[in-house]
Amino acid sequence: MSLEDLKKLVAEGEVEKSEALAQKLLEQGVDPIRTIQELADVMIDLGDKFSRLEVFLPEIMLAGDAMTAVVNILRPRVLASGEKGAAQGKVVLGVVKGDVHAIGKDIVKLMLQTNGYEVKDLGADAPSLQFIKAAQEMGADFIGASALMTTTMPGQKEIIALLKEIGLNGTYKVVIGGAPVGQEWADLIGADLYCPDASSAPGMMAKLLKK
Amino acid sequence: MAAPYRIWEILQRSHTGPFCEEKDFMPKIFAPKLKEIVKKYAIKYDPQTPVPADNDLADRVWQAGWELFREVGLYNTDTNRIIKVAEDEIKEALYTAKGEYWVGAGKDAVLWKHRRVEDEAPPFCIFSPDITVNENLHHSMCLAYLKEPLLDGICAPILEEAAGQLIRSAGPTEISGCIQHIYNLRLAARQVGRPGVFLVAVGTAEHDSGQIAVSDNEWGVRTTDARLVGSLSEFMTADTLLNRVVHYAQYGCYTGNLTGPIYGGWCGGSEGIAVSLVAYTLSGLCIHGAHFSQHFPFHLHWGSNSTRELLWPIAVAGQAMARNSKLLYTSNGFANAGPMTEMLFYETACHALVSTVSGWHLWEMASTRNKYRNRATPMEARLGMEVGHAAARQGLTREQANALALKLLSRYEDQAADAPRGKEYQECYDVAQALPTQEHFDMYRQVKDELAALGIDFPY
Repeated sequence: MSLEDLKKLVAEGEVEKSEALAQKLLEQGVDPIRTIQELADVMIDLGDKFSRLEVFLPEIMLAGDAMTAVVNILRPRVLASGEKGAAQGKVVLGVVKGDVHAIGKDIVKLMLQTNGYEVKDLGADAPSLQFIKAAQEMGADFIGASALMTTTMPGQKEIIALLKEIGLNGTYKVVIGGAPVGQEWADLIGADLYCPDASSAPGMMAKLLKK
Repeated sequence: MAAPYRIWEILQRSHTGPFCEEKDFMPKIFAPKLKEIVKKYAIKYDPQTPVPADNDLADRVWQAGWELFREVGLYNTDTNRIIKVAEDEIKEALYTAKGEYWVGAGKDAVLWKHRRVEDEAPPFCIFSPDITVNENLHHSMCLAYLKEPLLDGICAPILEEAAGQLIRSAGPTEISGCIQHIYNLRLAARQVGRPGVFLVAVGTAEHDSGQIAVSDNEWGVRTTDARLVGSLSEFMTADTLLNRVVHYAQYGCYTGNLTGPIYGGWCGGSEGIAVSLVAYTLSGLCIHGAHFSQHFPFHLHWGSNSTRELLWPIAVAGQAMARNSKLLYTSNGFANAGPMTEMLFYETACHALVSTVSGWHLWEMASTRNKYRNRATPMEARLGMEVGHAAARQGLTREQANALALKLLSRYEDQAADAPRGKEYQECYDVAQALPTQEHFDMYRQVKDELAALGIDFPY
């Protein structure tokens, strides 16, 4: 069994089998950093297929679970080696207050994680101040706020207003998304970035961070 | 609907049903079971046949949907438990369900009856823009829709502001917005001479408190009207939604079961959508006590259901329910293109045609991916309903509808990803008179003439 087999198992979402093989490969002396990088490529490839709906959400979610399980096994060895892949960025992500629809946020989270972002997930129905407190604790680069209903979109506006109010405007890039949200709304409320779909989020956010 | 006296037994299962962590419900219970059932019942999507005429396939989809609902149930995120309904309870609910209801009041009351596959009775037509609208356009848009001749019921546009304030869910502005919504709608209904027209209201309410605030037989949502209960995500609910179930049942209005399975999401592809639509209908019947279901399956990336990967499950699930139940259910169109574009007219016509011959009632039409404010008009819905009436009355078969659907798809399908946004309501309607501009009307007429040339036999 090889790294190629592990990549196949992860792509197929075989969580337990991936864990077992990762453990075995680790004992055989496989390079954990290279393994993670190659598995990240698998996830990026799956993400591309998902963007074309050649695979569907269950497949990519299961693969994400398998990837996470493998990373959990490899992480202690990576830390011990002293090498550390730099995170693309740190993100506080949540669904705004009053909105309990989390599916879009969950897909974005997966896309960000598989592209090397560190994500703090606030879940759904998260109060505006919680986004900011979590960003401060994490030292985040981004605050990502999702809204699925028109009547919960003001929650995104409130986060930006609060940041200004407490003197943190510009400290975090505020990224918004969700079915009823668009560029016009982002412009209106002064969001730093609007992502039209989950697949585009990692690339658009990386570009924004480099500015 | 499920017998009302069962409501406590069913809802109690939010506290006594099997425990499951929320993160495990979809990946470990729902998705594998759906995959297994699709395979077991040999359900296979055929892109060449958006309107299959395969009764055996329809019956297998019915059985598959039944099994999915019975095995998976509905997950309550507030209690981390699964509400499950037993085989005999599903049978009881289907047996005791009525196949027809009088909805609306007085002279405006309409008998809404179950339809069969290729039924020659026209579909029940609920006109709805499904979109948010500027506060100053809301009343005009209500008027414009209520003027539509084929309208049997209306679901009005959604307010984002009330008295100039942004509506915030679960707060006082939402209560205020919901009251403004129903006032505008009631006033408009009276103005056009349809004071008792059947309303599905109010869409402005995201929170249960907003819905409860407008239950009033004098000025608000009446017991002859309907309200909707949705879900959080696929087959997931919460107490804020179940609160509505209890309120609607005890208030005495009609309950609609609102579902939007996502193509590419947890339901997978076309086959999974078809099976999920049936399962959702049974869930709504048994758990929400719904009198009808309102389904809007949609594409994960586009937010529409007018392309063949969505038309196929709409057709198959409609036939499954038409052949195996006496229930009521509406097919809610979601288009890619925006108002006053030929593409939107084609998409609406195709969605209505496919739905009608497959036994559905119609709920038309969310345009522009149901995403952009003010981008919907009654004209696209009018054309869809006219196609529905014509297709039923001339007795179009599924095979004939399939041939027509393929011709219509060839006119717009390749533009689905980059569809034109079209115009806003006030750009193609005279807002004061609530009438379409001549340019808008002419485009509608031109597409209608094209459809007639293709074989749709419009009565006028």
